[in-house]
Amino acid sequence: MDVIAARDLTRRFGNRTVVDGVTLAVAPGEVVALLGPNGAGKTTTLRMLAGLIAPTSGEVTIGGVAMTAHSGSRLRRRIGFLTEAPGLWDRLSVRENLTVYGGIYDLPAVDTRVDELLESFGLQPHQAARAAELSKGMRQKVAICRALMHDPEALLLDEPTSGLDPEVSRTVRDMLDARRGRGCAILLSTHNLDEAERQADRIAVLHHRLVAVDTPAALRRRLATGRLVVRVAADAATWLPAARAVDPLARADGPTITLAVRDIEQDTPPLVAALVAAGAPVLEVRPQLPALEDVYLRLIEDSR
Amino acid sequence: MNRRRLDALLRKEWLDLWRNPGALMPVLVVGAISLVLPFVIAVGIPAWTDSRLGDDADLLRVSQVIGAPTHLNDDARVQFFLLQQFLLLFLLTPITGAMALAAHSVVGEKQARTLEPLLATPTTTTELLVAKVLGALWPSLGVALVCLVGYFTGMIWLALPGVAAAMLNLRTLILIGVISPAAALVGLQAALIVSSRVNDARTAQQVGVLLIVPITALLVAQFIGAFWLSAGLLLLIGGGLLVVWLALVLVSVALFRRETILTRWR
Repeated sequence: MDVIAARDLTRRFGNRTVVDGVTLAVAPGEVVALLGPNGAGKTTTLRMLAGLIAPTSGEVTIGGVAMTAHSGSRLRRRIGFLTEAPGLWDRLSVRENLTVYGGIYDLPAVDTRVDELLESFGLQPHQAARAAELSKGMRQKVAICRALMHDPEALLLDEPTSGLDPEVSRTVRDMLDARRGRGCAILLSTHNLDEAERQADRIAVLHHRLVAVDTPAALRRRLATGRLVVRVAADAATWLPAARAVDPLARADGPTITLAVRDIEQDTPPLVAALVAAGAPVLEVRPQLPALEDVYLRLIEDSR
Repeated sequence: MNRRRLDALLRKEWLDLWRNPGALMPVLVVGAISLVLPFVIAVGIPAWTDSRLGDDADLLRVSQVIGAPTHLNDDARVQFFLLQQFLLLFLLTPITGAMALAAHSVVGEKQARTLEPLLATPTTTTELLVAKVLGALWPSLGVALVCLVGYFTGMIWLALPGVAAAMLNLRTLILIGVISPAAALVGLQAALIVSSRVNDARTAQQVGVLLIVPITALLVAQFIGAFWLSAGLLLLIGGGLLVVWLALVLVSVALFRRETILTRWR
């Protein structure tokens, strides 16, 4: 059963529709990245899923239980929400910030849990420091610890690595991997396409409505250009005539030949056969896929 | 209401206050004035001017009207009257403190962007508001109590014989035990409502300060002899304040719209 599920989720502010009919589900152990430009409705979507704001229409379920005004408090116990701003109490220390949340979640052994989290995020040396004294990266780590405090089965992360240095970003990625391994359903919003591609099992492109939801590879294939790249173990120009039998405009550049085909699935085997018959030492044949950034920009452009 | 959750929220409120003692400055200032002013007027000025309080016919007459103890001499009666009047100042201490803290409570969290993570937890609106109320009430009442102990200690040392003992009456107990906390509750609950409806702490404080006006009016009216708040009347006012407070609790829970707070803060 999906841990996080949104069905036809719509949210209007006045006559402005910020989120329009979003249907999305995240399974246990799955990471889904919510990609979209500023103002596309990512934060509003996450807030609706966290039970912070009510949808104008549609339904949110967490672990199969519908989010309502009545069930909201109980369901929020099952969700860890990393807000866009860390939102730490500046005058409280790192440990105090976490301990208060441990009490709010009514955990049986708060100190032990806080120790575990501080250790896993390398925050123990800073546990007595006031939140106001921390760097942005440190604050984000503490906020992540807070979201994980009650070991939630669903994690909603709003721009978890925004503005962080590579080291802290790596820590966040490691955390995501660890949580995924423990069956946690994770939905994260991000602008970072590289992060989305590396971390997410699926990418949901949002521009008020869901423009596309698929694996990163499938999204790239969706905009595949129909071009093939052939790599050989010598100068490719020698076998260019064989390639031009398929595409008269085929080009050779060092050990690679690039050519266009009508249908990659159908045209690749005869092309390889022709090259091999001509004596070409073929090392690799792969479709030339667009960068995820190109796919994303194309999808957003099409949705406007 | 989850007790541990409430304890955790209260712990946060008090830790935050402990690290920011400046937030208690208004209550400390009002408390200090309430403590010093009565003795300057009822003890200091007569001593410095070498005059007797009992020589003021108007004050003596008013002190008789309010039923000052007859076993006291004229000077002590007038002093008793003045010190009884100034007791009302101690109503302002917890109200000022509670309102200064409560006015910041919700809007302060909004501005620091600490409210959204808090609202994403199982915390209910009632738990959050109760924690905000108690978090502001106890420190304010604590300061007021310390000031009252100082007031009575001052009376024992500085007032004329018999005045301090005469002050320990039913009216004083009602003022301290009922009116003061009830007025503070009303003040801070109202400030909390304002705090959850505005976008900055200054506005919350400015609106909240208006609540002190009725108390001040009461003080002035009693001073000029417009009326006298007897023990029975005070009890009635105390009961009325508690009813108003309960109504404000319901209003504040109804008006605390998580969604509006989250989506309209900027």
